[in-house]
Amino acid sequence: MAATKSVSGRKHFTGRTGLVLFAFMLPALVFVGLFTFYPLLQGVQMAFRNYNLNDLSDTSWVGLKNFQTLLGDEMFRGTVWNSIVWVVGSLVPQFLIGFTMALWLRRKFRFRGTYQALVFFPWAVSGFLIGILFRWMFNGEFGVVNDLLMKTHLIDTPVPWLADARYAMIAVIVANVWYGVTFFAIMILAALQSVPDELYEASAIDGAGKVRTLFSITIPSIRTTLALTVLLRVIWIFNSPELIFGMTGGGPANETHIVTSYMIQVTQEGDYGRASAMGLMVVFVLMVFAVFYLMAIRPREVKRPRKVAAA
Amino acid sequence: MRYQPVKLLAALSAMAVALTACGPGPAEKAADGTTLQMVESLTNPTRTALLKKLIGDFETANPGIKVQLISPPTNQADQKIQQMLQSGKGVDVLEVRDSTVGPFTSNKWIYDMAPDLKGWEGLDALTANALKVAQQGGKSYMVPYGFYGLSLFYRKDLSQQAGFAGPPKSWTDMAEQAKKINDPGKNRYGYSFRGGKGASGNAVAVISAYVIDEINRDNAFKLTNGKTIFSSPKAVDALTMYVDLFKTASPPSSVSWGYPEMVQGFTSGTTGFLLQDPEVIATVKESKTIKEDQWGTAPLPVGPTGKAAQPLANAGWGVAEGSTHKPEAVKLVKFLTSGDAAMTFSKENSLVPILKSAADDPYFKDGPWASYVAMNESPETYIVVTQPRGVAWSTEWENKADSEVQKLITGKAQPAEILKGWDEYWTKKWAGN
Repeated sequence: MAATKSVSGRKHFTGRTGLVLFAFMLPALVFVGLFTFYPLLQGVQMAFRNYNLNDLSDTSWVGLKNFQTLLGDEMFRGTVWNSIVWVVGSLVPQFLIGFTMALWLRRKFRFRGTYQALVFFPWAVSGFLIGILFRWMFNGEFGVVNDLLMKTHLIDTPVPWLADARYAMIAVIVANVWYGVTFFAIMILAALQSVPDELYEASAIDGAGKVRTLFSITIPSIRTTLALTVLLRVIWIFNSPELIFGMTGGGPANETHIVTSYMIQVTQEGDYGRASAMGLMVVFVLMVFAVFYLMAIRPREVKRPRKVAAA
Repeated sequence: MRYQPVKLLAALSAMAVALTACGPGPAEKAADGTTLQMVESLTNPTRTALLKKLIGDFETANPGIKVQLISPPTNQADQKIQQMLQSGKGVDVLEVRDSTVGPFTSNKWIYDMAPDLKGWEGLDALTANALKVAQQGGKSYMVPYGFYGLSLFYRKDLSQQAGFAGPPKSWTDMAEQAKKINDPGKNRYGYSFRGGKGASGNAVAVISAYVIDEINRDNAFKLTNGKTIFSSPKAVDALTMYVDLFKTASPPSSVSWGYPEMVQGFTSGTTGFLLQDPEVIATVKESKTIKEDQWGTAPLPVGPTGKAAQPLANAGWGVAEGSTHKPEAVKLVKFLTSGDAAMTFSKENSLVPILKSAADDPYFKDGPWASYVAMNESPETYIVVTQPRGVAWSTEWENKADSEVQKLITGKAQPAEILKGWDEYWTKKWAGN
């Protein structure tokens, strides 16, 4: 035994054995401290400073000034709304298509392995690169999207996808859906493979149809995976501006900027104070969301009435 | 099993030390001398290969010095360089651009090479424009390696088919020719409009051509009366014409076109005119769609008074203040900005050269380069001006102005309104607010 158990059941790392275990963990602790917590703390304190890389002669504490500037910034408020559209617009189709794909890939058919590899391929490509690829595909004059739509007579004149605010957000969401479907497909497929076949056999014997089986067997069996995958995706989509950056740069006229892509722009401009304030706000909002979400999805335990002891 | 914590800890510490030693560290002494860390900014694979070749020549000529070239991706390079400079370690020689020299010097990150360049024969070989950049206000924070100057790329065949004898001379001519060439039904458009990243640069070029008679040549965002160029009524005329050029002769999707799309628009045969730097010459030459006899370059379009402002953008090499090998670093800067190395770099990167001797070089006299020579030979028509690209807020300005050009051409704002905002912005910034 590497650790001793106390009466409360907790493990205590004491004595020589504990020291050895601590020594094993030390490099990891040092690295995490150095590369995660130190930059994090730096970021937190920058949010309350006048920290502009273009002029470091005055980096004094400014309290909540950076946050006040942001709340008064019309563009920042616009990016908040865009972020909501971006997350919801990307997440729902990603989930539905990913789920459908996972159900399809679960069946046994020839070349299933090849199909799976092809489906999972986008996940291996960087978001920024995906953005650049889709930027060319959605180009109004020589993009493949308009070319296909024209050839199939779905449109008569080319659509300026990335030049018109009405279409630009749709275009970036389409790209993001294509990019993120894979993640859902992978996670849900893994969960589906852990559902015992006996359950399906039993439901078939009971005469349940496909829809009934889906809602009574499949979804309840993988409920936890679904919930956590959705939570992870919300956080990741909210925090992944690279696709937007590569595809539209936040344009046209800032119409596709989300909070995190705007944050990168402000960082590029050298205003680390304002960018850090944005970063803190993002962390706070996502933490609040995660807490409420986890509370909402936690399994409700049915309280059973206590057995009354026989008198 | 018995653990031996002391030995274990020692082993782990040794492993950690060994691991950290694997990463790239600051410049260390080469076995026989010095190793310099050099970082570039406008990275592309061809250019990196060329730089490595030139560095190889330098190392051959200076056996005691080794150079390690760091090539971050272009879109993150300036930020990476900033971080390296901020840390004060790990960089000796760096690429400095007219848009980064301001923030770098105000933070005291780069070294003034003026004392080291005193008496250097390389200074005498520089053109007047290059010398001006190398000795700004008596300081030498960088020596330029070349200039990026605008000229007009045009389709000779389309221009002729539209009934014009030659390329447009003025912005008005160009708007006229572009409208004639424009035929959306054939997916053909007049002008490769820049509405995406870098949009403000071209918008300012048009404004400058319209206010050229009152422009302050040393600070081309100011008029001679001290006000900004955006405050002039002529600037409203310029932007009105420019918006019209977009609406009547440019691809609708060019609202979001940056450098690659506008060049692709021209090389794919979609557009008839393109305003760009000479580096595009090599790209157009590689086009499989348009043949060499179908295109040419012409001098910058002039404004209503027959003159244009040529805002020569520049970039060069500088030395980090934190460098512990300054003499060797300066040696490398001198090597790259003189003689064969400088000429090779200009030619292979399609840059307006920094050496006087380029005027006699047949390479710069022929074909597409002829328009640059023509502009150089008419300095009173194509007036070289200095834009305030080195100010600390240059990135902020570019982001702001780019998005506002998009507002302008998508009809969300009017020229007068945009110009009023730009005028207030620069007036405030110069006042120190």
